[in-house]
Amino acid sequence: MADKPKVVDKPDVLQRPDILKPQAPAPLVTFPVEVVVPEGRQQTPAVGQRASRADGRLHGLGQTKYIDDMYFPNMLFAKIKRAGIASALIKSIDTKEAEAMPGVIAVITGRDIPCNSFGPSLKDQPVLADTRVFHAGDGVAAVAAVSEQIATEALEKIKVEYEPLTPVLDPLESLKLETPGIHAPSANIYGHKIIKKGDVEKAFAESDHIFEGSFRTQMVEHVPLEPYACIAQWDANGRVTIYSTLGRITLGRADVGRTLGIPMSRVRIVATVVGGNFGGKNEIRAEPALALLSKKTGRPVKCVYTRVEEFTSSTTRHPLIMDYKTGVTKQGKILGRKIRLVLDGGAYCSWSETTLGKACILSAGPYNIENLHAEAFVVYTNKTMTGAMRGFGAPQVCFAYESHMDDIAHTLGIDPLEIRLLNAFDEGSLSPTSQKLHSVVVKESLLRAAKLFGWNGLGDAGSGNGA
Amino acid sequence: MVNVTLKLNGETRSASVPPETTLLRLLRDQFNLTGAKLGCDVGDCGACTVIVDGKPVNSCLMLVGQVDGREILTIEGLATADHLHPLQKLFEHFGSLQCGFCGPGVIMSAKALLDENPDPSTQEIRDALGGNLCRCTGYTKMIEAIKGASCILRGEEVPAVKSA
Amino acid sequence: MKSFEFFAAKDSNHAVTLLAQHAANAKVKIIAGGTDLLADLKFTAHGPDVVVDISRAEDLKNITMTDQGLSIGALVTHTQIMRSPLIRQLFPALVDAAHTIGAVQTRNLGTLGGNLVTAVPSMDSGPTLMALEAIVTIAGNGGRRQVPLSEFFVGPRRTVLKPDELLAEIIIPKQNLGKPTHFLKFGLRKGQALALVNVGASFWVDWDKNTFLAPRIALGAVAPKVIRAVQAEAYLEGRTITPETMAEAGRVAVNDAKPISDFRASAEYRRNLVAVLTKRALEGAWALAQTKRLEGSNGKRNA
Repeated sequence: MADKPKVVDKPDVLQRPDILKPQAPAPLVTFPVEVVVPEGRQQTPAVGQRASRADGRLHGLGQTKYIDDMYFPNMLFAKIKRAGIASALIKSIDTKEAEAMPGVIAVITGRDIPCNSFGPSLKDQPVLADTRVFHAGDGVAAVAAVSEQIATEALEKIKVEYEPLTPVLDPLESLKLETPGIHAPSANIYGHKIIKKGDVEKAFAESDHIFEGSFRTQMVEHVPLEPYACIAQWDANGRVTIYSTLGRITLGRADVGRTLGIPMSRVRIVATVVGGNFGGKNEIRAEPALALLSKKTGRPVKCVYTRVEEFTSSTTRHPLIMDYKTGVTKQGKILGRKIRLVLDGGAYCSWSETTLGKACILSAGPYNIENLHAEAFVVYTNKTMTGAMRGFGAPQVCFAYESHMDDIAHTLGIDPLEIRLLNAFDEGSLSPTSQKLHSVVVKESLLRAAKLFGWNGLGDAGSGNGA
Repeated sequence: MVNVTLKLNGETRSASVPPETTLLRLLRDQFNLTGAKLGCDVGDCGACTVIVDGKPVNSCLMLVGQVDGREILTIEGLATADHLHPLQKLFEHFGSLQCGFCGPGVIMSAKALLDENPDPSTQEIRDALGGNLCRCTGYTKMIEAIKGASCILRGEEVPAVKSA
Repeated sequence: MKSFEFFAAKDSNHAVTLLAQHAANAKVKIIAGGTDLLADLKFTAHGPDVVVDISRAEDLKNITMTDQGLSIGALVTHTQIMRSPLIRQLFPALVDAAHTIGAVQTRNLGTLGGNLVTAVPSMDSGPTLMALEAIVTIAGNGGRRQVPLSEFFVGPRRTVLKPDELLAEIIIPKQNLGKPTHFLKFGLRKGQALALVNVGASFWVDWDKNTFLAPRIALGAVAPKVIRAVQAEAYLEGRTITPETMAEAGRVAVNDAKPISDFRASAEYRRNLVAVLTKRALEGAWALAQTKRLEGSNGKRNA
């Protein structure tokens, strides 16, 4: 039987009286070194504290150098031509006119990529689409020129002949086995997970009430203030150095080595302070293309995404379709729950498998449910790539199971706080995958929150006092 | 080409650039002042905010020909490494910035506000920052820092702030 | 951005000369605050050949009383409108409208003339001026001409301006000076938001009968251009001022509106907004009329 964790009284805000007084001399750069080392099972004293960040001073001075703030002598600028069509075969790409433009130094297409597939798990994403377009944001060619404007104008001169295909845009359509596979010959379901516990049908038969609810969430873009930026250059020993806003640089090295057909030891990735990631910069984008342009031209090549490209050609949060069926006693105790999740997995797998797993495990909510059947699918669609975004599937299912809980409470005339206290995890409860949970403070948190915002029970719904 | 001469952070500077060059590109590419950032290039995010003739503007929305003869203040002109502006002191102290990308733009908007309004209310600060998007912080510590900086500039002590 | 030739005009006459020189055989664009123009040019493949910068034409930046009425120069920025003592006193609705545009940075650059010339149906400066029956002065090579604002807009992003003309001045007619007016905008955010619907409403009060006199209601974002809600106006003329008649006018205004559904809102939601915002704009103008009356001005039409 585990002890409850000790809650340490939070110390006061870091007092720096010299700063708070006017006309004080500017302090020298000192880094906060007072760190309290917590005992075992003690709540970390950093929670609730204010922290002064080591990079704060340079940020405020405007001296932090992000990737786009870096310039190298002789550097070229790259732009990527976007397909603009959701699903198509590529019949031909003619780059001659672009190559002949004054100021354009090199043009590459998917054919130039030695191994044109990569991905954090399924290697289904091309660096540049060569035979097929899977979503409108696909890159089909990349240009390196002496200025960004010339590179942009060169894109218009690249002629691509498409044979349009009927795009699949609705994940429920994609779920059907008879729908043609987007990444043929595979079916469109590219990930599947089931969690089974107890006997859900028996629980429903024993329930006083059955509730069903269907919930959907939308695609969300991270919109980091800093757009993707990357610079590639080679040294005399045949090694490429890539400066990138990429968050996972070891994964990046693996993908760059794979796509370029060179050993990882020849790939160096330098990441600096990033201007916001939130999961959207967790895999490579144009790094291999820039490396090839740099190799072809003998010069450093930089690419910065426009804000429009951040929306069309970077990963987003998975939209989810979530169907819930819950059996409860008349007091509101959950006896069984059945869930089906369909994740809109976009054009490429990216981080969908992690998202699928998390969403499925968390879909039942922080509630003790002995009879559970949760099944989740992720399907391809010809839409923007879906990948990692803070929460990895958790925010979407939270919206569903909490809305569902409110619906149940409302119909049964039960206080939404009480129904949660009746069902919520305790110390030692088992998760849907039978993990024994520790440091569980769900009920304490609910009660404390209710007190803070003045929840006085069902009768006072909507009339609580502010904190 | 367009010839421009302007007063940049107190110094007279000149450049000869193509007419379609924006003030943002002039600052970053010609004068190597990379504090002003390119976040959207269409005047929505405010990461490019600088002060022109005393007014905060989106530098991505001004052509160089329009700033000829004008006075520009950028984040680099606000302080040097050993003399911070109170805004910069308190942004650091309160931990107001996380990734930092929106920082220069926010600080310039705040500076322009405090130049005109030495004792702004919380709502007036929110209004002044309405054109500066931040995806990391939720703005609360920025507002505290700006309020605190206004105290310092008025010669008053900054009230201590409660923990979360 | 694609390159172009750049000419800086010293004043409005010089600007007109430059337009006359170039507009015949080149694609010319005028830049004032640049907040709409440059945002467009950044991502277009077909830019202008020539850009004429009028931002230094000081003669277009005045706010003055003339014998025609209140004259606002086309280059007056939204910030300047918000701070003008004359406008704050006469037309707080114009101040409110300016405050809803963009953010501080864009208001410092953006001009009243630019907002009107860009002519997006959701423009925030249009409804109040339309409700005040504003007139615009257009400067061209042959001199100046005047056009009622209600005839200035042709459709989305189109006005009656010819390629060699520029908008010089906006006039609120003398007889409408001090007319109680209110502006409301509904956007998906409190700042940097496009209007889903915006409304400008103005009326004089017949204090003896407590009825609406010369009510004018203009709606934005619910038609290809800013329009007058003529059916709602006809309903109100001479009718007693009560909460019920103001609410009914809102419902009638829905018939004047022709909104579309787009990714921001459905047509049905916009119709809903028209009814509510029209009612509230009338209530706001009524509150202002009562305040003005208490302050001494009688809220009646100037003879």
